[in-house]
Amino acid sequence: MKSDANIARPRLIPCLLLKNGLIVRSHAFTTHQVIGNPMATVRRLSNWNVDELVLLDISGENYHDLRRDDFPVSYRGTGLLDVLHEVAKVSFMPLAVGGRIRTLEDISLRLANGADKCIINSEAIRNPDFIKQAAQKFGSQCIVISIDVKRHADGTTEVFAGDGKVPTGKAPADWAREVAALGAGEIFLNSIDRDGTATGYDIDLVKDVVAAVKIPVVACGGVGTYADFAPGVLDGGAAAVAAANIFHFFEISYPLAKKACIDAGVRMRAVRLGTQWQKREPTYDQAAEDKRLADRMTQAQERDFPAARPEAVQRRRTIRWCTRCVYPSIGAAPMEFDDQGVCMGCRMSQMKKNIPPQEWDKRRQALVDILEKNRCTDGSRHDCVIAVSGGKDSYFQTHVIKNVLGFNPLLVTYDGNNWTPTGWRNLLRMSEVFGVDHIISRPSVGVLKKLNRIAFKAMGDMNWHAHIGINTVPVRIAAQHQIPLVIWGEHGYMDLSGQFSMNDFPEMSYRQRLEHFGRGYEWNYFVGREGITAADMIAYQYPRDEDLYNLNMRGIYIGNYIYWEANDHTQLVIDRYGFEVSNEPFDRTYRRMSNLDDMHENGIHDYLKWIKFGYGRCTDHACKDIRSGLMRRDQAIELVKRYDPVKSRDLKRWLDYVGMSEAEFDAIADTFRDPRVWRSENGAWMKEEIA
Amino acid sequence: MIAILDLGISNIGSLNQAFHQVGLYGTLTNRAADIRAAKAVILPGVGAYGDAMACLRDHGLIEELRAAAAAGKPLLGICLGMQLLASGSTEHGDFAGLGLIPGQIERLPETDQVRVPNIGWCDVTRARSGVLFPEDSEVRSFYFVHSYHFVPKDPHAIAATIDSGSQKFVAAVETGNIFGVQFHPEKSQDAGLDLLSRYVSFLRASGCYEK
Repeated sequence: MKSDANIARPRLIPCLLLKNGLIVRSHAFTTHQVIGNPMATVRRLSNWNVDELVLLDISGENYHDLRRDDFPVSYRGTGLLDVLHEVAKVSFMPLAVGGRIRTLEDISLRLANGADKCIINSEAIRNPDFIKQAAQKFGSQCIVISIDVKRHADGTTEVFAGDGKVPTGKAPADWAREVAALGAGEIFLNSIDRDGTATGYDIDLVKDVVAAVKIPVVACGGVGTYADFAPGVLDGGAAAVAAANIFHFFEISYPLAKKACIDAGVRMRAVRLGTQWQKREPTYDQAAEDKRLADRMTQAQERDFPAARPEAVQRRRTIRWCTRCVYPSIGAAPMEFDDQGVCMGCRMSQMKKNIPPQEWDKRRQALVDILEKNRCTDGSRHDCVIAVSGGKDSYFQTHVIKNVLGFNPLLVTYDGNNWTPTGWRNLLRMSEVFGVDHIISRPSVGVLKKLNRIAFKAMGDMNWHAHIGINTVPVRIAAQHQIPLVIWGEHGYMDLSGQFSMNDFPEMSYRQRLEHFGRGYEWNYFVGREGITAADMIAYQYPRDEDLYNLNMRGIYIGNYIYWEANDHTQLVIDRYGFEVSNEPFDRTYRRMSNLDDMHENGIHDYLKWIKFGYGRCTDHACKDIRSGLMRRDQAIELVKRYDPVKSRDLKRWLDYVGMSEAEFDAIADTFRDPRVWRSENGAWMKEEIA
Repeated sequence: MIAILDLGISNIGSLNQAFHQVGLYGTLTNRAADIRAAKAVILPGVGAYGDAMACLRDHGLIEELRAAAAAGKPLLGICLGMQLLASGSTEHGDFAGLGLIPGQIERLPETDQVRVPNIGWCDVTRARSGVLFPEDSEVRSFYFVHSYHFVPKDPHAIAATIDSGSQKFVAAVETGNIFGVQFHPEKSQDAGLDLLSRYVSFLRASGCYEK
């Protein structure tokens, strides 16, 4: 039977894995990397008219936490139900929830907090009668049984329990028949050995289970490209096809995946890019936001800091540090550790080092193919946009694209008005030394001052404008010039915190921009504050989804295609293009070649990271240098202890620039001390130290 | 006041959120007095037929709902809530319903085209124009999760259907002030929110809701 003859249309289902409050990417059920907070991802998916959403809680304990308090989103409590409650508010699509379901009460509570269906796995194996009880109480339509299957070397398949670790001796088809007879309404079929491998569905397994039962079967595990979905329906006969990782990697991922299915002949619902009922940009309850801001200013005035309150004790968490580098478990970057206590930054760095030269040759060819596909043949536009800050990475990117590969890029720069003199000289020389066109976008300094001030008070980061500006202006200009390709350097969080795998080839996305660069604060948050209007914020407005989709716009990170080692690149661009490193050392790090475009980025902006989380840029740099084999861990610890706490001298410029006193700055900053990290003892701030 | 019946067995959070999105702030309740005071009633539901009727009986709501219907108050049943409007059901036994729209709830026949439960997005075609599906409504997909379907005595009660090729099934019913949808509008994104919004406009136009 072909399931596209079914009365119900085949579904395309993103599957989100939730671990301790954050969405993670998964590989082989064991390696997890943090993608971000669930509300941001679910909202984006809901806007794309997603057919259904699966949310699997894979936490080892019922503890959920967004890990930082400077986001505009939050949820009450620290349990799954608290997360679910918030997720359901932005989810106008069917929501199936799984993980840690053992009792009828567990199901009731999930349904009451926004789930439409419950997915049961281990408990069904332990006690098959539970399926029957659950189906009787809640109806079969509500009970989905998840079956994790491993294909052995000899080709036979076996059902596994306990997060894919415990063999059961059951054959998938037999177990499927059994759960269907007990009243299951649907089967969620996951291939363990295909998880995170990007090799496509195990079609024989899907066929085997589909043939065994009459209830719908959802196929999951192995999708690596959009073309991998359709065979699950057309060849496997699944009623729905699901995947987790792929939806996190690319812009407009769900609509493009659906388009690929429909083009392949799967009778899915039409692609939709938006809805009149919920905008892509978050909507802020401005009155509530005003109050939040006013409360913080009161806390600052009265020196009533949340981390110093008696109840803050309950929120304190034990900090651990990566056993190889010096990255802490509570921090600004999306970070996760494996069972050995090694951080994903180190793991992914190792993975990168292990990539053999012939694989890098393939990657380089893939880059050339992408560039070639987007080359302009009639001279009407540039071949691509390179987002440049005039730093070492900008020089290296332009070197590769223009002088090594022979394409004609348009350089685009966001000017946040925070240049170091060296950085500014480096930037202005680019159009001359490379012989390329360069657009520098300079927002009103009056608006910049307001944005600095407001963002510092709202989120403890004056550089919101820079993070969003850098991630918006090049894309806007590319869209305006009808240039479908934007080239970025390396994926910052892939390098620093191993957010993705080297085989993911993640690209720029609105979600990543808003969540990780904007901390969930979109340009419209600022409208109405200090007299800022929408028109003042034009530079920060990201192109519409329709524009990105119609132009087939991609933003790729060159670090996924060309081996990226910042220290080597710096020497190359000094030698060949006269790139200048800073002749004056930075206050907060030992490196002299980074962040010359923005004196506060390495300075007082970074000092706020210390205030919030108890570490800073020196930790970031030392981690990278340990991974590159340039530094020992004990050397790094010494540097981190010396540099991370330093209150840098650029503070004076910033205070003069925005008109604030140092006492006011300190008091507002202290309201952002994270109670997970800091405690107050006799008026002094204390935290655990790295050993 | 609009009463949204909360029997503790439905996905009430999702439905309420969807109503908020289209501008309706109802009162979640299981009290007979609230039904009496309400100008319109929304009857959601997932779960088993017999349990739901027993629950209505325990809260003294069966007669209250019949009285509300007789008084001409708009009643909207959703999913199981729609099925409760029928005379009765054969789901896990033989149960009497509210009897507001004569007809029976029967199990979906399993065929090559219909896997049971029927879970997913089905194209809904207008059978008769009314509040739920006005004259100009286009065919749109709505989200269904059900194993049983409504077979009304009077085909005129059918407002919309889904079509398996060989057989049509009821997707929505409408007779006078009694409305029902088998699908989940709160989970049907644009199509669902558009329908709920239309219904809220109807409640406003008929003086049941002022905000």
